[in-house]
Amino acid sequence: MAVGEPRRVGYLYALPALLVYVAFLLFPLLHSGWLSLFAWDGLSLGTWAGLSNYASLFSEEGAAAAFGHVGVLILFFSVLPVCIGLVLATALHRVRIRGLPFFRTVLFLPQVIAMVVVAVAWQRIFAPDGALNFVLGTEGKAWLGDSATALLSVGIVGTWVQTGLAMVLFLGGIGKVSADLFDAARLDGAGPAGEFRAVILPALRGEIGVALTLTVIAALRTFDLVYMMTPLGGPGGSTTVPAYEIYQRAFHTGQVGSAAAIGVVITVLAFLVTYVITRVAGRERA
Amino acid sequence: MKLPVIAAVPVIAAVVLAACAPGSDNKPAQQPAGEVRTDVAAMGDVTLTIWDQETRPAQEAQIKELNARFQAKYPNIRINRVGRSFDDLRSTIKLGLTANDAPDIAQVNNGKQDMGAFVKAGLLRPMDSYASAYQWTQRFPESVRKLASYPDSGDVLGEGKLYGVPQTGELVGIWYNKAKLTELGLQPPKTWDEFDAALARAKAAGQVPIQIGNLEKSSGPYLFALAMHRFGNPADETRLATGRADANWLTEPNRQAARQVADWVDKGYLTTGFAGLKSDDATEKFGAGEGVFHVNGTWSLATLKEAMKDNAGFLLPPGGTVTGGTGLPWAISAKSRNPDAAAAYIDFITTQDAMKTVASSGNLPVLDAGQQPGAGPERDVLDKWQEASTSTKMVPYLDYATPNAYEVIGGAVEQLMAKQLDVEAFLGRLQADLESRRGGR
Amino acid sequence: MTVSRFERVGTYLVLGVFTIFALYPMLSILFTALRSEVSGQGGLHWENFGKAWTEARFGSYLFSSLIVSVSVVAITVVLSILAAYAFGTMHFRGRDALFYLMLLGLTVPSEAVVVPLYYDLRDLGLTDTYASLILPQVAQSIAFGAFWMRTYFRSTSRGVVEAARLDGAGHWQTLWRVLVPMGRPALVTLIVLVFMWTWNEFLLARVMITSEALRTAPLGLQFFSGRSDTSVPLLAAASVLVALPVVVLYLFLQRHFIRGMVDGAVKG
Repeated sequence: MAVGEPRRVGYLYALPALLVYVAFLLFPLLHSGWLSLFAWDGLSLGTWAGLSNYASLFSEEGAAAAFGHVGVLILFFSVLPVCIGLVLATALHRVRIRGLPFFRTVLFLPQVIAMVVVAVAWQRIFAPDGALNFVLGTEGKAWLGDSATALLSVGIVGTWVQTGLAMVLFLGGIGKVSADLFDAARLDGAGPAGEFRAVILPALRGEIGVALTLTVIAALRTFDLVYMMTPLGGPGGSTTVPAYEIYQRAFHTGQVGSAAAIGVVITVLAFLVTYVITRVAGRERA
Repeated sequence: MKLPVIAAVPVIAAVVLAACAPGSDNKPAQQPAGEVRTDVAAMGDVTLTIWDQETRPAQEAQIKELNARFQAKYPNIRINRVGRSFDDLRSTIKLGLTANDAPDIAQVNNGKQDMGAFVKAGLLRPMDSYASAYQWTQRFPESVRKLASYPDSGDVLGEGKLYGVPQTGELVGIWYNKAKLTELGLQPPKTWDEFDAALARAKAAGQVPIQIGNLEKSSGPYLFALAMHRFGNPADETRLATGRADANWLTEPNRQAARQVADWVDKGYLTTGFAGLKSDDATEKFGAGEGVFHVNGTWSLATLKEAMKDNAGFLLPPGGTVTGGTGLPWAISAKSRNPDAAAAYIDFITTQDAMKTVASSGNLPVLDAGQQPGAGPERDVLDKWQEASTSTKMVPYLDYATPNAYEVIGGAVEQLMAKQLDVEAFLGRLQADLESRRGGR
Repeated sequence: MTVSRFERVGTYLVLGVFTIFALYPMLSILFTALRSEVSGQGGLHWENFGKAWTEARFGSYLFSSLIVSVSVVAITVVLSILAAYAFGTMHFRGRDALFYLMLLGLTVPSEAVVVPLYYDLRDLGLTDTYASLILPQVAQSIAFGAFWMRTYFRSTSRGVVEAARLDGAGHWQTLWRVLVPMGRPALVTLIVLVFMWTWNEFLLARVMITSEALRTAPLGLQFFSGRSDTSVPLLAAASVLVALPVVVLYLFLQRHFIRGMVDGAVKG
């Protein structure tokens, strides 16, 4: 029933949800925009600062670094999982694997575990006397304590978490592709790579877009993982992220306005990412 | 998406929101002097909400016993205790003190980012009138009171009014493994040369000379402070630690200290992978027999005593200058409606009798430590505190200096140890933080 | 389909590597949780879980998480159904605008609103209460819930609703007697997703909650991991306890989980 019938009572049905939504999400979001225009320490009276909080985000080293780190994390949270997910899904589709539900369940599992738990588990793996050094034979290497490897280490955990999601999305997508398309491609003499390019990639545009959106936003929001794995922004501040800066500024160093400004920026970024990806991925189908 | 509709919303809301600037000026009216009441029984029915961080077993034991005794003595006062771990308290107290249901009493960290900021914002009540009424001026040595004193501006630790008094003391010294020292044919080092020799001997024998974990960046500054004690003098170090106007990081002793830390790293005297090791894990490793020395605070006493029994020993750094301070001072919230009762409570938990309870539960009492019973590592800790707290060689934590000092010093030392900052750049970073605060306010 | 033996073996190999990659961290923490607290001592030590439950107070943390998660799920589901019913089956002025306004909430990261939320809720005297965790999370989940259920309502056959109408059912009865029972699969998916998001939430709890008694499980774990007297096996045991409820739920309802993530995401 796509059209629906005219009913005033619709307002009543929608009202409770709208009230909660406006009061506890929309209003705080606007309030955030408002706070971002002040220099306020959270204790005394704030003073009007105009857009200077935003301006200093670009000039100041700390904030710029945090956004730069997110750029790197996006590589690990989004690009890598999507690539791996594509390869796995394609392989699983071609080869009728026995126990596919088992593999799907296991590979998706990291997605449902609380990040704090993930952090505890991986912190031990990256420890100087942890499993990674044992496997690589690099005894005593401080993966999380070295500014050259700390962000990379956190990124790998991100890949671990997100790969299953991407793969499951793609498997679902490939499942919807009609077998005729594959047959046709094969008749044309397409190998695995040709089949991938001619059939799978176009068919999965939507799913790839979704996987990118979800994982990029997850990367933008990262907090628990870095907060627990690399305390105080990590070695040499190499793992600061916007969410960490928000927390630190608002509740520790008394820069509430600046924290709010970062919040506004990541909201805008998240919105833009969603918008752009939806546009690009959706165009083909429309 | 229908963006134009959505875009209109912020505009409307901004108009609605444009009511006022955030925050409020909540400086309380100063209570006139001379109105202090000390007769608790006459105060009527009062409930005191108290936020403390006495949550480890030994701490919990002492505060529960003292609270019970206080209530038995003054049945008209009800105690509403909210116990939180140190980190927990530090991250919530700022929010707590500004809330309408602020606690009456809270333990507040001495540093500028905590007590200093709260004094500046008028969230704490000066305690000088109580100090004279209860004679805390005699009970606590000046050095201890100074660690909880600020002027109204909140920017100079050690001056101005008194805002809290502590129950316990703490030192950052050198823990050592007695059996291992004996094995290496060494005595506990009394001079820096002996310390150097012990480190070299330990290294040569394949031991970990100094067990340390700096993932949280809290232990690095202890190590740097230790090196500062070697080359500096307590007066200059105190000026730096409290962020005084005449303090200066760019001095020869500080260069030597920074070089010393880098040298310890270069010689491989620290735990392999210390930068990725959690501080508590390092303490656990030391307790399990890994490491000859362990630079850490007296708060590790309970853990190490359990793991090592009398095999653990505690030393002051050679030369006697030592980083130390009090446990978190107990302060009265400016919003408390019963400051007199609050002061009476704080008085009660810091009397001579109370100190006995503090000590017998396994804590380090700020007063009379030398007179308390105890053996093994406990004896070491009690005596060293007695010695240090009554000397002029006790230096406050470096992170008291500026509101950001904890992050700045932790980060800078970490980078010094990782060879990402050379000595000049390292000291320059600390100096810049010091000056930014001086110029800014 | 015919694929070469080489390709088949290769696929299993790659799959095996990734399975190990996915499982190892979880298994290692499980084994650590069963290790003795005294290093070097062998055997399985199930009592670590008991200690984490009582001494480390994870019993209480899990209880807080349960209260918050169940409340968020219940309120979200009811309000989402109502709103989606209106958005999906009725016609009123401004319907689409209101719907898109809610959809906007899908992209707002909670990190962006946590700071003002703190000050807003403090003015209302709500910080450090369950409400301070429940209400903001309901608001966030409702954006997804309304969207998700609207899709369901729009897909139900008009005939069903008209049959109900002919039987004399009003819009209220039609919703609860006919549409909601029919929409069980969509509802189950919504429930498991919202439950998982709420259970795993960390930053909001970190900011709002100061009382030990109200601490949720992930927050409890963070403090527990930062305490100096925490032993490694006990920390691992606590981690397992925190993760377990969602993992068990996932294993039971994994088809709903995966479909929810996949479908919900694709249409979003």
